Amino acid sequence: MKRVMLAAVCCLFAAVSFAQVAEQTTPPAPSAPHQPQIPTPVEKTLANGLRVIVVETHNVPLVSARLAIKTGAEADPAGHAGLADTTAALLTKGTTTKSAEEIARGVEALGASLDSGAGFDVSNVDLNVMSPKLSEAMAFLADVVRHPTFKKDEIERQKAQAIDSLNVDLHDPDALAHFVLTRVVFGAAPYGHNLGGTPESIARITREDVAKFHQRYYRPDNAVLVMAGEVKAEDAFALAQKLFGGWKGAGPKPASAKPAAAPAKARVVVIDMPDAGQAAVYVARAGLRRADPQYLAAQVANAVLGGGYSSRLNEEIRIKRGLSYGAGSGFDFRRDVGPFTAGAQTKNESAAEVAGLLIDEMNRMATTPVEESELTPRKATLIGDYARGIETSRGLTRRLAALALYGLPLAEISHYITGVQAITPEQVREVSKSALATGAADVIIVGDAKKFLEPLKARFKDVDVIPAEKVDLNAANLRRK
Amino acid sequence: MRMRSVLILLLLATCRLSAELAIPPIDYKHRTLPNGLEVYSVEDHSTPAVAIQVWYRVGSKNDPEGRSGFAHLFEHIMFKSTKHMKSEMMDRLTEDVGGENNANTADDFTHYYEVVPSNYLETLLWAEGERMGSLTVDDATFKSEREVVKEEFRFRVLAPPYGRFAYAVNKDSFDVHPYRRPGIGSIEDLDASTLADVQAFHTTFYRPDNAVLIVAGDFDPQQLNAWVDKYLGVIANPGTAIPRVTAKEPPRAQAKRFDEHAANVPLPAVCITWLAPAASSADSDALTVAAAILGRGESSRMYRTMVYRDKISQDVEAEADLREDLGLFEVDTTMATGHNVDEGSKAMLREIEALEKTPPSADEMEKAKNQLITSALRQRETNEGKADALGEAIVLEHDAAAVNSDLTRLQAVTAADVQRVMKQYIAGSKRYTITYTAEGGAK
Repeated sequence: MKRVMLAAVCCLFAAVSFAQVAEQTTPPAPSAPHQPQIPTPVEKTLANGLRVIVVETHNVPLVSARLAIKTGAEADPAGHAGLADTTAALLTKGTTTKSAEEIARGVEALGASLDSGAGFDVSNVDLNVMSPKLSEAMAFLADVVRHPTFKKDEIERQKAQAIDSLNVDLHDPDALAHFVLTRVVFGAAPYGHNLGGTPESIARITREDVAKFHQRYYRPDNAVLVMAGEVKAEDAFALAQKLFGGWKGAGPKPASAKPAAAPAKARVVVIDMPDAGQAAVYVARAGLRRADPQYLAAQVANAVLGGGYSSRLNEEIRIKRGLSYGAGSGFDFRRDVGPFTAGAQTKNESAAEVAGLLIDEMNRMATTPVEESELTPRKATLIGDYARGIETSRGLTRRLAALALYGLPLAEISHYITGVQAITPEQVREVSKSALATGAADVIIVGDAKKFLEPLKARFKDVDVIPAEKVDLNAANLRRK
Repeated sequence: MRMRSVLILLLLATCRLSAELAIPPIDYKHRTLPNGLEVYSVEDHSTPAVAIQVWYRVGSKNDPEGRSGFAHLFEHIMFKSTKHMKSEMMDRLTEDVGGENNANTADDFTHYYEVVPSNYLETLLWAEGERMGSLTVDDATFKSEREVVKEEFRFRVLAPPYGRFAYAVNKDSFDVHPYRRPGIGSIEDLDASTLADVQAFHTTFYRPDNAVLIVAGDFDPQQLNAWVDKYLGVIANPGTAIPRVTAKEPPRAQAKRFDEHAANVPLPAVCITWLAPAASSADSDALTVAAAILGRGESSRMYRTMVYRDKISQDVEAEADLREDLGLFEVDTTMATGHNVDEGSKAMLREIEALEKTPPSADEMEKAKNQLITSALRQRETNEGKADALGEAIVLEHDAAAVNSDLTRLQAVTAADVQRVMKQYIAGSKRYTITYTAEGGAK
């Protein structure tokens, strides 16, 4: 009791003494910064070609693992959009020794999560588990990658679920806008379809398609295994050897898909959805490859334009004009040239105004140099996001897997911060001219067209209006025949 | 983006212990300043960053009459000008130096948070003191930000196909308690709010004796105490009492059904709710385990039977959504093509009854606990996650120590406890069923 009272008196005294200090009218300056410690990954390649990367961290007793196959939706055959994703989703639905229910029960009994799905360039199987259960959980991961059975009833169930889920997305203005912009930017090229497919393409997928995709691409010399968290590197390597050492691929190693050519002519496409509660507005164009030497400059340019709350797009659209809950932009860097998108959701009435603002800001990046005074804080934002991104075992795993996927040095994990700091205003302008200017950009709006068509046509000459129920995502021109 | 968790606070998945795993407890220090501000700190030097959070004990349930959505609108205004800070200066002090900031408004609290490089700790304590002490917003700024919040309403409620459904669940589930009012508000109520409301709300609720400061990460404890005293210890409280919600939700008299419709509903959905105890209840862990057994993961009972075996559902969820005053136990499902909401509610009730009648197996109990412990571990990987866990324990359970003791309690939940709470709260009370289908019949 006495101690508590004494403490209270001390506090009071401290408060009184400080109250006499003059009022602080400007923010107190920062003290000297503390330097971050970025963990160092170690790696080993198994005799069968599987590259294994491990990074030890000691924060909480958790481990994340990702098995990445270096092939994804870009390899979907024509008319079979969604094959890579369906194949990945089916891995956990049964192996030669375990049923789908046994896998779900076994993994969840460990408190673990085991998720699989495809992206462009990649098919991932992700595990997150408390450290003491790592080897048990990794056995499930290895089993689903190596021995899936793709039973007929599981394929039918998966397809029905995927079609239902696509039908939900087709009613969501923002999701539909993403599907559409993919087609508009890349046409019939390998990045031009929705990675989750369409109700029609999913219906077409057979067991043979899935088994063939798996046999062709899921092989140790086309894969990388990353583990991060509270695990010793030697234990992780031993576990990888035990579970994947006997894994073999058949035939020659597959080549990666052909380059993604973009259609030459920019388009303005409106999908008319009369009951849309808000319009989804996007400006999109071809961006850059992940391995492009301008990668970091492009990241910095995007941080100025549309990365983060205080970027130009959010400043102009949300903060100054109250036109949206949030506006932003981003590059999706891939093995080949991926998309760049800038967008916002806004009330239908202001869709044309928002499209104009997106375009103006993209062009301003290319025409007017960014001052150092603006560049420095945007670089700090980018660096902060990066540091927080690799704070968790899951984030660290993803970052390393992406470097390995694109054949980039793992040391980039510790060079990223200095690399960003070294980017000059001139480099930002250069990359903005080639990758942000809107000469080759498309405009995509999904919303209630009658509320914005007139002002939109006042700014853009050829506006292509397609009623939502007439959209065909399977066709390069988006129209149902 | 300024955001808010309008709908459901993450169930108290704060912190759970495993028998074979020694999770280090969150080692926090606590003191109360003479002006009533409660200060909690958790030291951790593993990254050169620090999380700063201020939790105000005011949330959507405190929205003034005719001003639904006001607590949330106010949260947005807190990023505008103060006596010595221009609008958006909070972003200059966080984002511009490699940090981040945001806030969210829940039913019971409003929560402001920053993560910054640790050498900016003093700067941010000053800034939090600034906005606790004064708010000097002009009418133009207020109106522009109100437009942003209206866009947020459209973004969350009107645009997504199931936005109106989530909006309806709270409204229909509570008869009396202000938890029934939508935290995001309505366009009309937002339009009715004024700058005068903003000043009154700040004076009434934004004061040291209604706030909790949490600092987690890389700091020197002595320095922290001195800065807290200097920038937050000097703020005075108004002489007025803090108004509290006193409404009591009566027990439900009979089961009810609410049929909600919207133009754009691709697949029908249905939710069933029961009244549940407050977050501080001794039964909270048993209810959380019950929800996990019913709906967490693909081996959960509802997923296994409804999605996997019978293929009538596209998706299932079960949740013990426990809040400060009372909670809801909810199960919901989105139907698969060709199946209707009656099939969905029948199947969910079948699983609910099975859990009331027969205790769960030892395997199911262990699985649910491991799932909950692992998600607590994931939250504790970051300073921000640790501060979040602590803040929820303080504000919702009125007990900081619960951040650690909840884990021990979770370990002790037995199959008989699960069966008992199912009988007491679910079998022993009335259900409200909320259906969501397309206007003019199923599409």
